[in-house]
Amino acid sequence: MMLTFHGISKTFVSERGEVPAVRGVDLAVREGELFVLLGPSGCGKSTVLSLAAGLLSPSSGEIRLDGELVAAPGKKVFVSPRERNVAMVFQSYALYPHLDVFGNIAFPLRVAKGKEESITAEVARAASMLGIGELLRARPGDLSGGQRQRVAIARAIVRKPRLFLLDEPLSNLDAALRSATRAELKRLQRELAVTTLYVTHDQTEAMTLGDRVALMREGSVLQVGTPRELYETPRSPFAGSFIGPSPMNLLDAVVFEEEGHLHLRIGEERVALSPKKAGEVRRLATGRVRLGLRPERMRISGDPGPPALRGIVVSAEYLGRERLVSVETAAGILTVLTDEVAPNEGDVVGLALPIETACVFRPEEGE
Amino acid sequence: MSEERRIRILYTVGAAAMTAFCLLPVAYMVLVAASRRPDIFSAGAEVRLTAGHFLDVLGTGSLHFPEYVVNGIAISGLSAILAVVLAAPAAYAVTRLDLPGRMSFLFLVLAVSMFPPVSLVSYLFRMMSALGWINTYAALVLPYTAWVLPLSLWILASHFSRIPRDLDRAALLDGCGRLAALRKVMVPVAAPGILSTAILAFIFAFNEFLFALLLTTGRNARTIPVGIALFEGLHGEIPWGMIMAAATLAVVPVVLLVLVFQRGIVAGLTRGAVRE
Repeated sequence: MMLTFHGISKTFVSERGEVPAVRGVDLAVREGELFVLLGPSGCGKSTVLSLAAGLLSPSSGEIRLDGELVAAPGKKVFVSPRERNVAMVFQSYALYPHLDVFGNIAFPLRVAKGKEESITAEVARAASMLGIGELLRARPGDLSGGQRQRVAIARAIVRKPRLFLLDEPLSNLDAALRSATRAELKRLQRELAVTTLYVTHDQTEAMTLGDRVALMREGSVLQVGTPRELYETPRSPFAGSFIGPSPMNLLDAVVFEEEGHLHLRIGEERVALSPKKAGEVRRLATGRVRLGLRPERMRISGDPGPPALRGIVVSAEYLGRERLVSVETAAGILTVLTDEVAPNEGDVVGLALPIETACVFRPEEGE
Repeated sequence: MSEERRIRILYTVGAAAMTAFCLLPVAYMVLVAASRRPDIFSAGAEVRLTAGHFLDVLGTGSLHFPEYVVNGIAISGLSAILAVVLAAPAAYAVTRLDLPGRMSFLFLVLAVSMFPPVSLVSYLFRMMSALGWINTYAALVLPYTAWVLPLSLWILASHFSRIPRDLDRAALLDGCGRLAALRKVMVPVAAPGILSTAILAFIFAFNEFLFALLLTTGRNARTIPVGIALFEGLHGEIPWGMIMAAATLAVVPVVLLVLVFQRGIVAGLTRGAVRE
């Protein structure tokens, strides 16, 4: 099943006027892939999911499922959720409280008027896949959060949907359960090989689950790529800050040319760029740029050779395996993720700048 | 005396006073119904208990009281069912569909119910006469349904709006159309609200007097309040004992109804639907 969005916009009309939730989104979700929509709350990612489900109709643009047009306001086409055969797992689980677990999982099959014997078998199969075979007679009210989540997933997979939609399915679970369920979701998705659209605001979920990730902000898709592409080559400071274990350090720098070589000036420091990096930077033209440095690639050194900055340690957070050290430098406060013995607050340290892996952004690119 | 104790005493006394105020007329009714003579509070009157009035009311064929009870239950029940069946889809539409002017619609509906019944009854009489429906169930069921419909719509809309939207979205994705989502998910989940709405509609129709007085002429469709008001005693005296006995008996269906459905009304059926 392939899902494509072409120039999709959605504007909500309320008493306070028109609120654009999704602006000109283009997406192509491939057969069998787990595609993640990632973004801060209010970025329109859940609206995109509702549009795919058919719970909302777009204000403009075209949505296709396997090439078949399912929503196109311009051509007055709208296929209802019922006819799209897509399944959804809601953040709130949305279990039917008046039915027991069996009734909940069987609901879509009964609506489709399946034979009762085959329904029983299908429900048992879905329930055993999710390890809730013992709970079929329980009511949703008697289940724990994790169990409810499993029932919701079982209900979604039981009728073999063409497209599987997940709206922040893990955000109501506690941390331990979340990572266990995350791994299980991934396994389940591989096993069923069903095209999946997954919405989350948690970059860890996006990175670990997604075959590809679309980063959204203010109703637009900023960047689409594999988790690795998003991490290694963020196309904007926002992408750099949003993706990664802790936000990217951003500092102002100037690119200038001297004796035929490109240099970078950061505060008082001057750094000659390697030919590879220079080629990459040259595309941006010279002048002011924003430099993005990953905290996990910065190093604290007592006696730093250039390129480096000096600064005073203002805080050192203990994270278990690592420490997050904030250092106040001439270029602002920079953070370093280090597993070495961290300096104390107030120490003067040098910071080695990982220029080779730095991201260089045009200054006008939003953060 | 501790603060807590004082509050508890005040609470108990207050509750007792309220209950007494509300139930004294009922107690008087039951007492008169069960006494030989109605003048139980006159000087020198002695209270002698009897079941005679109850037996008279039920047994005297010319009073038609059992028929009035049947009429009352049937007409009220039909009105209540019809009101809920009509109000539920309307409440679903108002709370779930993206309709322009939903609030204006709700207030318009409420405004319609503000007309005093007395302003409608003469027209209703002419209409029902023209239709030849005077003294039939339809003559009462239709006006009663219309009369309780706005209230039912408001109550159901408030119950429906408390059901999480994800629940009927889930139903739509699970293959339901709008009507199936209403029937298979909204109505069962809102069952307590629907039951209490139906009971309110039932009680309203069960007690209604004016329409019933003017739109019925005999025992075919006459309801209990009108029936009791038209009781005639022998020799022109007012048969208080029988009136009170009939009134006492009239309470029974309503009390039974509430008792039977009490569990359904109180039970929190939405428990566990979504994460609270």
